[in-house]
Amino acid sequence: MFQSFRLAMSWVHTWFGLVLGFVLMAAFFFGTLSVFDREIDRWAVPATRVAAQPMPSFDTVLRPVLEGMQPEAEDVAALRDELSGPVPTRFDINYWDIRSTRDPVTYLYAGYEVPGAKSPDELAYDMRLLVAATGELLEEEPAFIGTGLFYPLHFNLTLAWADLGAWIIGLAAFSMMAALVSGVVIHRKIFREFFTFRPRKALLRSTLDLHNLSGVVALPFHFFFALTGLLIFAGIYFPIAETQLQPLHELHERHEEAQSAVPKRRAGVPVPLASVDAMVVQAQQRWAARGQSDKVEALILLHVGDANGRVVLSNAGEDRVTSAPGSDIHFRASTGEVMHESPRPSATGQVLEYLAGLHLVHFRHWLLRWLYVLGGLLGCVCIATGFIFFVEKRKAQHARAGSQGSRIVDAVAVFAVTGMLIATVMLLAVNRLVPEGLPGRNGIQGFAFWGAWVMAFIHAALRSGPVARAQINPAWREQCWVLSMLAAAAVALNWLTTGDHLIKTVFTDTYWPVAGMDLSLIATGLLAAIAARHLTRRERERPAVRAHAVPT
Amino acid sequence: MDPRLSVTLRVALALLGGYAFAWGFIASGMTALHAAGMEFHDAQGLASLLGFLLFLCVFLWTFAARSLLRVGVVLVGGGALLIVAASSLQSALVR
Repeated sequence: MFQSFRLAMSWVHTWFGLVLGFVLMAAFFFGTLSVFDREIDRWAVPATRVAAQPMPSFDTVLRPVLEGMQPEAEDVAALRDELSGPVPTRFDINYWDIRSTRDPVTYLYAGYEVPGAKSPDELAYDMRLLVAATGELLEEEPAFIGTGLFYPLHFNLTLAWADLGAWIIGLAAFSMMAALVSGVVIHRKIFREFFTFRPRKALLRSTLDLHNLSGVVALPFHFFFALTGLLIFAGIYFPIAETQLQPLHELHERHEEAQSAVPKRRAGVPVPLASVDAMVVQAQQRWAARGQSDKVEALILLHVGDANGRVVLSNAGEDRVTSAPGSDIHFRASTGEVMHESPRPSATGQVLEYLAGLHLVHFRHWLLRWLYVLGGLLGCVCIATGFIFFVEKRKAQHARAGSQGSRIVDAVAVFAVTGMLIATVMLLAVNRLVPEGLPGRNGIQGFAFWGAWVMAFIHAALRSGPVARAQINPAWREQCWVLSMLAAAAVALNWLTTGDHLIKTVFTDTYWPVAGMDLSLIATGLLAAIAARHLTRRERERPAVRAHAVPT
Repeated sequence: MDPRLSVTLRVALALLGGYAFAWGFIASGMTALHAAGMEFHDAQGLASLLGFLLFLCVFLWTFAARSLLRVGVVLVGGGALLIVAASSLQSALVR
């Protein structure tokens, strides 16, 4: 079908890159934001703008809160269909799961037994959020934009139904790998691409230079993230252990359970809980002896109140890429004696964990994190210049032929590039504009985000006429101005509503999560303004191309 | 062949045929590695890692190959053989 290997690769690069590029843009951009998702949460929920704290005492602080928790009334009502008997009025605890990562909020999760449930594994749930430094319990659903929206957008586009979003993202990641390999085949002169950028040449040439430059400079980064992203969700994309090889999987699980010293089920004998704080001290001594971080990241109590109950403590992954031997320690809940420590992973296990760990970035290292951001943004530049090159290469020809192809691609590119940025910054501005405690506040924020994104597409489509005459869609310039103004508004609104301005957050009362967000917004606004000015100049230079024969 | 049909066939074969082939490779690879003594989830992870790279290779090969028939035979036929091999090895292990 294709004349040569290079032409075949060129076809794959162009069409898979174009169709999945729009999804890839979102995966790269929101993945980039997810590097600092906790910091975005701090900016968006001012009540949590305090220094990160170690996990508070279980015995004196957490336990009273946990014991006061019960499933929400509406969740209980939703359970009605899963029950064969009456709806219980009070639920007995099954497990408690307490998390404190690199932020000041402690997450308290609880799972409850459901007596009379049709399925024996049925549980009811509740959760609370505690700001450890102030002892304050947060409202039900705080606007955690970073961990709650940008992070899921990165890996499943918030389409959780039937893992649809994860499959779309997976196809996009696979196309990224295909586009990188085929891109290298097409261009051949990979070494020269590193040093070639001619911004003063014709737009087509300089766009291609930038596309190649951003692609090859971070080539290992792009390929690695696409591959490890697929690997992290391998169980979704190839659910072999749950389907074809389920008998073998179950056999393995039975072997593991038989060998393990840790009881899997409840004994049915009620036993009181020993001091968890004493277990924490014991775990910290063991971690310190191994030279690991002594900060508790996860504290899980399984089969609470039962003779087979146990307490699992894990330390924070801030000082390493993968989980280390002994980082999980299991205690007998009734006595506080150590039952089990996580063993050293096998060589294969270490390699796989290392690959996943480099993608998931749990370690604390601000410079490396910023390099991740740079790599992610280079990916965005590579994808966006790919769209522009596609349009620039074809639009004069399309204009002569009276075709609408490049006009449509260009409008979708505006939607995927400036539209996505506008939606993101609009959400931040609305987050600061709508007063906290207003009913339906989260709904308003969601509406602002998706609404702004849809509006950006409608705007791009309405203004796309000039592309059909081989000119530039003015929507690019106009949306750059909107973005610039929104970014300035978000910084100003943050100052007005919280009193946190840059002089305070950088110099007098340093708080980098908020300062970093404000500085990034200012940089975004400035770049958008510069881009808008360039576009103004470019638009004036372009003569229109008329169709030779316009079919009417 | 009509070029549109040819392109559609190649895309379908590259994605679906490649997927079936990769499934067969991962399934038989993880069963074989587990049979050779590797822990189940380690075997699954390692086979998946190699499987994704193999998928990428056969995906690109589908577009580069001259004969679409040969690609079809290798991907669908080979994939089916690998899937059968994984299941047979599994029944030997589970018994």
